[in-house]
Amino acid sequence: MVVNTRGDKVDASPTKGFFVNMITRDITLEDTILDLIDNSIDAAWHNEGGQAMELADTVDLSAYRISISASPERFSIRDNCGGMTLDDAVEHAFSFGRRGSQELEEYSIGVYGIGMKRAAFKLGTNIRVRSTYTDSDGAREAFAVPILVDEWMKNDNPPWDFDIDEDHELDDDGVEIVVESLREGTKAEFGNPAFIRNLRRMIARDYSLHLNRGLKIAVGGKAVEGLPIELRQGGGFAPVRVEYKDQAGEDEVMVEIIGGMAAPPPESIDPDDAKDGDRRFGWYVACNGRIVLAADKTTVSGWGTSDWPQWHRQYSGFIGIVLFTAANAADLPLTTTKRSVDASSGVYLRARRRMRDISKEWIAYTNVRKQALAEAKRREAVPEAVPIQHVKKRLSIALPKLVRVKTEPVANVNYSVPVSKMKRLATELGNVNMTYRDVGLKSFDYTYDDHVGDG
Amino acid sequence: MASFDIVNYSLRPSKGIQRQIIFDGIRMLKSRLELSDMIYVGLGSIWFSDFVQAHKSLDIRRMVSIEADDTGYCRARFNKPYATVQVRHGHSSAVLAELHDDDDCQAHPWVVWLDYDGRLSEAMVGDIRAVIERSPSDTILLTTFKARATSYGRPEQRKERLRDLLGDVVPDDLSKAGCKGDRMQETLADLVTDFMKAIGVESARPGGFIPAFRIIYKDTMEMVTVGGIVPAPGNVSSATDVISDERWRCRPQRRIVAPLLTIREAVTLLSLLPRDDELTREQVRVSGFDLEQEQIEAFERYYREYPMFAQIVA
Ligand SMILES: Nc1ncnc2c1ncn2[C@@H]1O[C@H](COP(=O)(O)OP(=O)(O)O)[C@@H](O)[C@H]1O
Ligand SMILES: [Mg+2]
Repeated sequence: MVVNTRGDKVDASPTKGFFVNMITRDITLEDTILDLIDNSIDAAWHNEGGQAMELADTVDLSAYRISISASPERFSIRDNCGGMTLDDAVEHAFSFGRRGSQELEEYSIGVYGIGMKRAAFKLGTNIRVRSTYTDSDGAREAFAVPILVDEWMKNDNPPWDFDIDEDHELDDDGVEIVVESLREGTKAEFGNPAFIRNLRRMIARDYSLHLNRGLKIAVGGKAVEGLPIELRQGGGFAPVRVEYKDQAGEDEVMVEIIGGMAAPPPESIDPDDAKDGDRRFGWYVACNGRIVLAADKTTVSGWGTSDWPQWHRQYSGFIGIVLFTAANAADLPLTTTKRSVDASSGVYLRARRRMRDISKEWIAYTNVRKQALAEAKRREAVPEAVPIQHVKKRLSIALPKLVRVKTEPVANVNYSVPVSKMKRLATELGNVNMTYRDVGLKSFDYTYDDHVGDG
Repeated sequence: MASFDIVNYSLRPSKGIQRQIIFDGIRMLKSRLELSDMIYVGLGSIWFSDFVQAHKSLDIRRMVSIEADDTGYCRARFNKPYATVQVRHGHSSAVLAELHDDDDCQAHPWVVWLDYDGRLSEAMVGDIRAVIERSPSDTILLTTFKARATSYGRPEQRKERLRDLLGDVVPDDLSKAGCKGDRMQETLADLVTDFMKAIGVESARPGGFIPAFRIIYKDTMEMVTVGGIVPAPGNVSSATDVISDERWRCRPQRRIVAPLLTIREAVTLLSLLPRDDELTREQVRVSGFDLEQEQIEAFERYYREYPMFAQIVA
């Protein structure tokens, strides 16, 4: 609300320009694309009956395809997930908030029902949304909604809706969104090979639960493979897997927590030795199947908050995942960008207590492990990787009881050499990617053997 | 191929052809974008072939040669072909940083050719990044490095090694086959180009980075040259036009593997060219000697750039 110096109300109606700027500001390009994928998946899920998405159920998504292509000239996403009906379009898909007297109040809230519009505005200024669906009488219907942002922005008077045109049918029932006249920033990113490859990685991770159910997502004509989330089970190791019901107001939220060893902890805590693998570990949070927080090692999942130490490389190897499932998405602890969890949500805070207890068991294990390294490594080699869907129910995490062995005092060595020499030596020792620490150890052993002999 | 093809390290015809094609390309860009007062930055060498070309065919006066090695520095100073070549002693990363900090250098577009002898390393990747991030608008960047597959670890280690060097641009599904044999040069050329594009975007260069050069060549060792331009925003479309024109020869489909010929052989072949039909092995035999079919093809494709050196016997 704008107030002039005399204190009278002058003009309380926001402009479209202000609104577009506000909703597109705090979201990344990647996340807006994921918002569109979410819409396709929601449609597919709706088609399949719309039940709760829990890990154990068996809904098969292999009939559904989402194809994305992105170049500096053009963006498109197309799905065969059933499409949106003309009613959907008229009632809410292309309006902002509910119709009625309070329509202007919606802009400052707008958490729900903005994903598609926000993505469109973020991407470019010439947008065409097309939908083909089969109505309740079995007839196929098609329509298109062209959005020419610059035209649309010229008139700030409500209602802020878009025109709906007739259109010919798409091959399959589904939605197609094409964006041209991309924004400068978008254009640049779509020309960045790293952006596209990272987008694939993000999709592989955040939709891994859907991809593992057969959903197909292709970027640039190439299918994305879901990143498997696996934990090790057997030989004294067993992940925890608990399930409980919680309440968000009147509504019920199902919570499932799974956690355990995904890989043996690292041998050293030297950051130079941190390879890609380290990125996998930590806590994951999924809301109705969509992973909104991945491999988190920050206070968001609890590390470094009360009674829970900060993440340390020593804890690598642990993966935990919490799945929240609710009929009403408003009850889920997700932020509007779906890139994090709402850490003030009671449902989430209650789950976090349990996450803490699980994490602490792992922390304790890695502490003992340092003094029983040989035995630990022997035992860690036994368990096998199991996809999280197949982890057995268990109230707590099982880890072997290790016996600390008293060790000789050790000397830590620390020195610097040029990376190029280090890499050349690593190559000669048989592995160009060998960790610096291992190159050091091997060189020590080699020299020791030469000058001191056995012992 | 017989072993007499693999000797003589001082004459590297493929490298010479490559250099010629690239300087021709730079000249086209220079004239279309109306670039003037450029600065040439090259890596130390006692031969200065690229500097001579830069001066003769690009009319560049100001040239900087970077040499890290003490003896090399001394020899480079002795051998520098023109008064306006400045030889700077130090590692490329340090000298590039000095040049980047120099306001006067920042006032002119550069042609930077990081012509390394070795395999791609962390230090080279750092230099490439620095040039794209910090060089003046309209700078043309080239880099040459060794691209034999075995220089990058064992086959199953190569993808990770590339990921270590080039980061996120290396696709997760890069196959082992893509990192073996001749495929490795293609992979390296493509991924280093992608890396350059990524840096152009990530450092928010207003005109981005436009790839323009991609040549694989071999004399005794498989080498890759890739590069492009970081144009001023107003020059993006002209640069794109030049590079997408069919006369642009700096991205040949096939690798350059030129035969090592004696002057007498080369002159004899030249007298048969150009021609409308293809030069056949039979015609070569008729003229008095013999070459393999692919050697003949390579010569025919690049005879205009084939370096001709007469050896001076003192
Ligand atoms: N791919 C799609 N398939 C079917 N319906 C869609 C699709 N994309 C959008 N919609 C419709 O448009 C509506 C608005 O989408 P959006 O702006 O993302 O808000 P929200 O997803 O929060 O409802 C959705 O609720 C849905 O009815
Ligand atoms: Mg949505």
